[in-house]
Formats: sequence, C-alpha cells, structure tokens
Amino acid sequence: MNVYIKNILRFCIIVILQVFILQRITLHWFTEPAGALFIPFIYPLFILLLPFETPVWLLLILGFILGVTVDSFMTTAGMHACATVLIAYLRTNVLNALMPRNLSEYINQQPSIKNMGWMPFLVYSGFLIILHHLVFFTIESWSFVSFGSLMLKVGASFVTSMLFIIVYILLFTRQNVSRA
Amino acid sequence: MRNFILIIRRFFNLILFAGLEILCLVLISHAHNLQGDEIVSSANTAVGILYEKKSDMDKYFGLGRMNDSLLNENMRLRKIVDQYRTVDTLKDMPVRRELATSDTTTHVVKYADYVYRTARVINNSVDGVNNYITINRGTKDGIVKGMSVISGTGLVGRVEYVTAHFASILSILSNKQQVSAKLKDGTFKSTVWDNERPEVFLMKDMPPEAKIKKGDSVFTTSFGNTFPPDVLIGTVNVIEINKKNGKQQLYLKPATNFRSLQYVYVLENLMDAERKQLEEVPVKK
Repeated sequence: MNVYIKNILRFCIIVILQVFILQRITLHWFTEPAGALFIPFIYPLFILLLPFETPVWLLLILGFILGVTVDSFMTTAGMHACATVLIAYLRTNVLNALMPRNLSEYINQQPSIKNMGWMPFLVYSGFLIILHHLVFFTIESWSFVSFGSLMLKVGASFVTSMLFIIVYILLFTRQNVSRA
Repeated sequence: MRNFILIIRRFFNLILFAGLEILCLVLISHAHNLQGDEIVSSANTAVGILYEKKSDMDKYFGLGRMNDSLLNENMRLRKIVDQYRTVDTLKDMPVRRELATSDTTTHVVKYADYVYRTARVINNSVDGVNNYITINRGTKDGIVKGMSVISGTGLVGRVEYVTAHFASILSILSNKQQVSAKLKDGTFKSTVWDNERPEVFLMKDMPPEAKIKKGDSVFTTSFGNTFPPDVLIGTVNVIEINKKNGKQQLYLKPATNFRSLQYVYVLENLMDAERKQLEEVPVKK
C-alpha cells in the first residue's frame, strides 16, 4: 500500500480510537477513588510509527495537526498539540541514538518491533510516551503543587498507554512483512 | 542578510518547533482566558458533526436501559391511574378503605387494587397449541400463580407455573383459556384463539342486533375473574355474518404483538382472594 494512504488511514484510525473509545475509559487509581483520574493515550503512536526518513519539519507539522485534532475533540485547546510537537521534535534524536545505522539508510521502513527488536522499540516508545505524558499532565495541572499525584497520574497513564500501544502494534501491524 | 538566511536554514527545525510550541501555548492561554474559544473546541462544525454521529450510535446501545426506565415509569403511572379509575362513588357503603379527602365527608371509596410488577420476556412461543411465555420474575419477586399479565399495548395471559426466579405465562394464544370480552356497547362474549396464527382471535356467535363496525375495540371484563377489566384485547378486523341465523363471527387483531414481546407487567389483584372466597362458596354446596 502507498505509504501516504497508509499513514492517512492510520491517522484516522488512531484518532477515532483515541477520541471515541479510549477517552471514555477513565480509570481510577485503586487506592483513591476520587483522585488521580487518568486516561490512556494511544494517539502519539501515529508520530512514533511514521517512516524513518520523515524530515523533522514534516514530523513537527504532522504532530501539530494530530495534537490540534485531538484537542478539538477533547476541548483542551493546545495541550495535546504542545506535548505532541515536543515528541515529534525529539523523535529523530532518540531514533538516531537507538539505531545502529544512519536513519537515511532505512528506506521505506517504519519503526516497528520487527525492524528494531522488542527492547529498542520499547525503549524508544516508552521514552517518548513518558515525555509526552509528563508534558501533557504538567500543562494540564499548570503547577507542581500536587507533585505526588501528578507523578502518580503520569505513571499510571504511562503504564496503561504502553499496554494499549503494544496491543495496537500486535493487532494492526503485520509482523512478517517483507522488506520492500 | 545572507548570513541571516543561512541561520534560518540551519536552525529551521528548531525555529519551527519553537514557533509551533508558542502557538500551542497561545492557544492554551486563550482558552483559559476567554469564555467562548471558537478556534479549537468541540463546538466547531466538523467535530460537532462527528460527535453528533457518535451520540446517535451511543443511543442504540442505551436503548435497553432507556426502555427499562420507561417501563418503570409506566408502572408507576399505571398505578396512579388505577387509583382514580377504581374509585367507587356510591355513598354509605361499608367499605374497605377510605381515600383521604380535603373535606371531612368520606364518601369516595377505593377498592380493587392492582399491584404492577415489571418483567422481561426471556422465552416466547407463538406456534404451539398452548403457548407459554417465560419471564424473569418468580416467587421471590412476589409472583403467584393466577396473576394476570398485560403488555404495554394489551392483554398477554395468566401466570401458570412459578419457580423462585422465573414464571411461565400461559398466553391467550391457547385453547385452554377463554377471555371474557366486551365491545364498547356492552355486548360481552368470550374470545377464542383460532389455534393457527398469533394474529387472529375469534369471537363467535355475536347476536345479530349488536352493531359492530370494523376497527371496534374489544376489552376484557371483570366477569371471568381472571383478568382485570378494561384491558384492550384487540380490534375487530373482519366481520362474518352467518346467513342462516344472522349471528356474527368476529375476527380480532390482538393488541399485543406476541411475536416481538419483550416486556410485560404482572398484575396482582389484592382483592382477588376475597372475591374468590365469596364466589366459590355457593358452588360447593
């Protein structure tokens, strides 16, 4: 399938998943029924799964569009966009640090468990996701007053987000794809 | 100037990043300061349309719960309506219960008291000679053998067997039970099922002088002592006149759609035992 159509489709699927399904799942930290409400976020995965050789300016613009789309559904006006643009900017650096060869050598490939192996992929997605959550929840609360509950929120959301991201990858990406 | 352009080209990504982040922060601060933020909110058109479609879809998943709540509301309203329908305005009768009135004279009296219970149909048949409907209420919910069962639109049947959590209703699609029925002008007779289709009931041998039109409603009476009075059984669909003696045979269309029955009300007649006690004594002697 054409790489553009594929990514546009993935954009739609991920936004619909995030906005219509995951947003409805509000989980409670089990010791505090009223406090530390968190939502799993799967939409940063769109940025994570773009092809290796995507230029940084395109990543930034796509991240901004993705963030604003999610923002307009959740009425959070720029909070998601802010966090997503940040991870879109840092994505190339993280990949450069993790991958053995230069990124331009991976033609027509996208980051996946097959290309990178389990551990590097988990480090790559985990680092960017936790950064995204940290920025998002900090902007959301806009203070470090309740630092403990903020960290709890980030941690709990991170665990559930990673769970959903792994499930998404196992479900929706072909594991034995031939290297085109 | 050339150096400036070179710097921009060199740090283009960083500048773009900073610009976008500043744009985000501006959006956030606007949303926090202004009341009606029109740029990025779920009130704008595209998102609004999508949310509308989603809530349309959600509605279907909520239909069951909505139906249940409406059923409970109906039960409550029926109970209230019943209180006013079964008011006896005869004076000075030795009566069971007096209604509280604003003035001191207590001549309005209530008897025949029905308790409504809601139930969901979990098994249903329309093809047998005697058709039974299973509901998810039993003795633990106060269901007793012999209670009459109605649906939102009309008569359904009578409770036949009860276990702790379930009850089996003999529906009026049965040749075991006849329903005492009356027309609007007061002619009463009993209806029977034609044993074939759940859409047809018969009222045989109606007197020739009864003026019956197509579309007339047929109600239950209290004579049969099994069903509450004035529950709709069905409407007259076809009138057949016997040429020999002029008697009319009516084909009724039942008010209840037995094929798609989902919810029923089970009626408990609080005065039933007393009435049976009174009426059965002369028969035994």
